[in-house]
Amino acid sequence: MEQKIIGIILHEVSELNEQLDHKVAIENGENAGLYGLTGVLDSLGLVTLIVAVEQAIEDELGLAISLADERAMSQKNSPFRTIGTLADYIVKVSQEEA
Amino acid sequence: MYIDFLIEAFTANKDKEAIVWQDQSFSYGWILSSTQAKLAFLQERLKPNSVVALEADFSPNAVAVLLALIECGCIIVPLTDSVAHKKAEFREIAEVEFVITVTINDEIVIEHTGTKVEHEFLLHLKTEKRPGLVLFSSGSTGKSKAALHDFVPLLEKFKVPRHGMRTISFLLFDHIGGVNTLLYTLSNGGCVVTVNERSPEEVCRSIEKYHVATLPTSPTFINLLLLSEAYKRFDLSSLTLVTYGTEVMPESTLSRFNQLFPSVRLLQTYGLSEIGIMRSKSKSSDSLWVKIGGEGFETRIVNNILEIKANSAMMGYLNAPSPFTADGWFHTGDVVEVDGEYMKILGRKSEIINVGGEKVYPAEVESVLQLMDGVEDVAISAERNPITGNLVKARVKLKTEETIGEFRKRMREFCKGKLEGFKVPQKVVLVDTTMHGERFKKMRKE
Repeated sequence: MEQKIIGIILHEVSELNEQLDHKVAIENGENAGLYGLTGVLDSLGLVTLIVAVEQAIEDELGLAISLADERAMSQKNSPFRTIGTLADYIVKVSQEEA
Repeated sequence: MYIDFLIEAFTANKDKEAIVWQDQSFSYGWILSSTQAKLAFLQERLKPNSVVALEADFSPNAVAVLLALIECGCIIVPLTDSVAHKKAEFREIAEVEFVITVTINDEIVIEHTGTKVEHEFLLHLKTEKRPGLVLFSSGSTGKSKAALHDFVPLLEKFKVPRHGMRTISFLLFDHIGGVNTLLYTLSNGGCVVTVNERSPEEVCRSIEKYHVATLPTSPTFINLLLLSEAYKRFDLSSLTLVTYGTEVMPESTLSRFNQLFPSVRLLQTYGLSEIGIMRSKSKSSDSLWVKIGGEGFETRIVNNILEIKANSAMMGYLNAPSPFTADGWFHTGDVVEVDGEYMKILGRKSEIINVGGEKVYPAEVESVLQLMDGVEDVAISAERNPITGNLVKARVKLKTEETIGEFRKRMREFCKGKLEGFKVPQKVVLVDTTMHGERFKKMRKE
């Protein structure tokens, strides 16, 4: 499950990268920084990515989840730091949904 | 007495064609005698100065009844089938005493409701024995509001002679634009060409068949006309003027239409149920810059929002607080940009999307996306999110078989260099329904 989700995120990140001047270093895989200290995305890039990931998760896994909400924002550690932390958060949210 | 100027105009033009309805022609002489007959008919059956719902569409009898009701000093509430599911509610809000239905066969039915009029504005008009008009806003941005007009100042501008044209009654009978088309055309000896349905095919067919010169319409309809390519199947060479209003025109639609019809003048109109229709002048056919005003209207801009003071302004809403400032200015809610005498309408303040502090006007984004191949229709709206406050959401109707991912990728590529990053929709939803209402106005709310 987690590997599948990482695959989805990587795919969406690489699509988004085509639009970006400062690209997310997808070659670093799970450790690639998204938003925050090691991240390169601005808030708009982050929103765009999250919406695209939500959509892809729904299309490919049939799971309707909400990632950009108050809950995500109030996590002790931001789920949007790296591709890996985002994948962990998605797994957590989708398990709760199920 | 209220319609004396119309009676004079009808008499002067009595042999000319006034209305084309169901492929039949009716002269000004016919309208004149029919109005007089209806007046006698109504005087026997209604109390003068009653509140009367006129449930009709443009037809010779509906026009004659409308004019006769004005003359009787009645407060008229025109209602069309476009508000079928709201008719009962609207009758109640307007405290309608009589319902006159003009059927599709042009027969007249009168029904007494037993309602007692209590609203102070309505009572004021009744006491003063002045005719009135109640217009309901479309409710595309919220609840329908009932604007009550004293009919006398609304009629005033039609007393100035202008150029009468053969005009399609595209805007609805219960809409300020429809009432304006009718009174303008009839007071100037033009001809009102009615249509059975407001489809591109039917409108183009009527333009060809009845040599129509003027089409008053909305940007949404112009867009549908372009998409349907109905114009290729009919001879539209009689068309000289297309007027558009009621919503922001996408630049892309305007420029495409202008390229296809270089000899047709495009004029942006500006009017609201609350204040009437102003006189306007577009800088050119391919320009969204427009000068608005005219006799009886003053404009000013406060915090980039257009405000209007009009002699023909409504008395007020029947079901909402007064929207006027203490000194009588109406706050339109339209954000404008100004260049000398001209202004450009950017959109409703309430529809501006705030993305991380940056402003996005839905019409600008729609205008760009509509240029993409395969995009049939698009509506932009805001969606809340805690990161940027809002995001730009596009609901798109596609003609292609693309998946949402494929389309999103193509859209992002397409928008490069045409829209700043924050304006490119972050969210895309594919839909297969149309995104406009009966009035051919884009419905951005779902």
